[in-house]
Amino acid sequence: MPTRSPTRVMLRDELVGFARSKVMIVLWVVLPILAIAAYLLLPQEITRSRGLGGLSATAFVGFLMSSVAGTVAALMVAVDIVSERNRKVYELFVIRPIRRETIIWAKFLGVFACVTVACVVSLGLGIAVDAVRGRAPGGDELYDIVKSLVSLIGVIAMASAVGVVFGVMSRTILVAVILVLYVGQNLTIVPMLPVYLGWLPNQFWLIMLITAVLTGLLVYGASVMFRRSEL
Amino acid sequence: MPPLVQLENVRKVYYGRAVLNDLSLEIPEGEVFGYIGPNGAGKTTTLKILAGLVTKFEGSVRVGGNDVARDRDKAHGLIGFMPQSCGFQSWRTVQSALDSLGELSGVPAELRAKRIPALLERFRLLDARHKKVKDLSGGMTQKLGLIQALLHEPKLLVLDEPLEGLDPPSRNLLKEIIRERQQAGTTVLFSSHILSDVEDVADRVGILNNGKIATSGSIRALVTDFGLPLEIGLELSVAPGNLGYLDELGTVTQHRPDEWRIRLVDGTPSDPVVHAVIEKTLAAGGKIRKVGLVEPNLDDLFAQYIERAHAN
Repeated sequence: MPTRSPTRVMLRDELVGFARSKVMIVLWVVLPILAIAAYLLLPQEITRSRGLGGLSATAFVGFLMSSVAGTVAALMVAVDIVSERNRKVYELFVIRPIRRETIIWAKFLGVFACVTVACVVSLGLGIAVDAVRGRAPGGDELYDIVKSLVSLIGVIAMASAVGVVFGVMSRTILVAVILVLYVGQNLTIVPMLPVYLGWLPNQFWLIMLITAVLTGLLVYGASVMFRRSEL
Repeated sequence: MPPLVQLENVRKVYYGRAVLNDLSLEIPEGEVFGYIGPNGAGKTTTLKILAGLVTKFEGSVRVGGNDVARDRDKAHGLIGFMPQSCGFQSWRTVQSALDSLGELSGVPAELRAKRIPALLERFRLLDARHKKVKDLSGGMTQKLGLIQALLHEPKLLVLDEPLEGLDPPSRNLLKEIIRERQQAGTTVLFSSHILSDVEDVADRVGILNNGKIATSGSIRALVTDFGLPLEIGLELSVAPGNLGYLDELGTVTQHRPDEWRIRLVDGTPSDPVVHAVIEKTLAAGGKIRKVGLVEPNLDDLFAQYIERAHAN
C-alpha cells in the first residue's frame, strides 16, 4: 500500500494530538456542560421572557464560547509550538523528506478544527436545550445563529493564526503566552478595522473574507519564518 | 565512485564565532567514520548541517551527490539521523511515534508492521510499545531515537553521541547493529566521547578541532603518524620498597596504586626492556601480576592531540 502524503500524515497526527489533549477534553465536554449548567442556574426573569430581556441557551453558550475560544486556540497552538521546538520534537520531522511549512500548516489546521468542533458542539447543545424548553430557533433566528457561528469560526481562525505566529517567534512559553494575551487579543479585531475606519462597507461576508485572507497570510508568514529558522 | 558524504570548505558562524571553519571531509560508501573532538569543536553542528537542521552555512555539503541545500528531499531520503537528544510528541505511544515517523520517511505500512516490532524486540522495548513516550526512561528514549533512524534502512546513518546514556548491553548491541548495517552497505557517521567504543567500530576517525578536521585516518595509521611512544605496563601484587630501578629503563608514571607504565625512549626495542623489568622487579622482592607492551589506543591519541593543540 503506498504511503500517504506527508501533509496528510502531519495533519492527521496533529488532529489526533490536539483531540487527545486535556484542554480539548475540557473544551469539548466540560465547558459545554458547565455552560448549560450555568444557563439553567440563571434567574428565570433573564431566561424566560421572550422579549428584549430573554436570553436563549444558544445565545448564552455562544457568548461564552466567543469569549474563550479564540484565546484558548491561540494559547494552545503557541504553547504547543514552543514546547515541541524546545523539546526538539521537530528535529525528527525536519530530517525527513517533508516540507517544513507542512508542520506549521498542520499545527494551525489541527487546533483550528478542534476548537471549531468545540464551538459547534456547545452551540448544538444550546440549541437542543432551547428546543427542549420549547424555544427552538427558526427562520431569521437560525440564520443569525449560523452567522454568529461563522463569525466565531473566523475569530478562532484568526486567533489560531496569531498563536502560530507567536509560537514560531517565541523562544519560551512565557514570552509566547504574554504575546498572545497582550498583543494577540488585539490583533483579532484587525479584520474589522477597515469597516470602523469607513474604508469598506459594513458587510458581514466582506469582513469574513478579510479574516480568511489575513489568516492565510499570517500562517504563510509563520511557515516562512519556521522554514528559515534553525532548529 | 564519488564518496557518499562530501563536505567542502564548510563554514558556519554563530554570533561572530566560526564554529566550522573551512571544514572539508569525504566519507566513502560503506565506511564507519568516528567523529571526535573536544567539547564545542563543532561536531554536532556538522551533523546538523548534514541532516538539514542547520540551513545557513557557507560551502558545499553533498550526500550521494545531492546537495543538502538544493536537493534537500533527495539527500534526506538517504539519511537516517539520530540527534543528541530525541524529542517525541508527549501524547504518543512508542508504537505510534515510530509508525508516524516511518510513514513520513516513506516506509509502506506492511514494512512498518514488520520492522517496528523487530527493532523494538532487538532493543528490548517490545513490552513498552504501548507505553507513552513521556513515561520512558532516558536510556529507553535514546533507544527509540536509534530505532527511528534505522526504520527506513537509510544509506547513511548519522548518529550524534548515540552511545551516551546507554547501558553496556545496549552499547554492545548498537555496535553490533552498526557492524551489521555496514555489511549491508550502509555508511555510518557518528560522534562519540566514548573513545573505546569508537575504536571498536570505526574504520576511520576524524579529530575535529577549531572548526576543521585536524587529522583523519585509521586509528593505527594515526597512532603511527603521531609517533605515540610505546609503553610497558607493569602490574604488581607485591611492590618492592624502592622502584627506582625502573627509572633507568624509561619515563615512569603510576596509573593506579598497583600499576606503573614505563615509556620507552624512541627507537628502544621493547622485548629487552620487558625482560629487564621482570628480572629487576623479582630481584627487588616484588611479585608481578602482569607485565607487557601497552599499545597506544584512541584515548592516548586523543589526549596527545589535545595536549599538542594546547601547547601550540
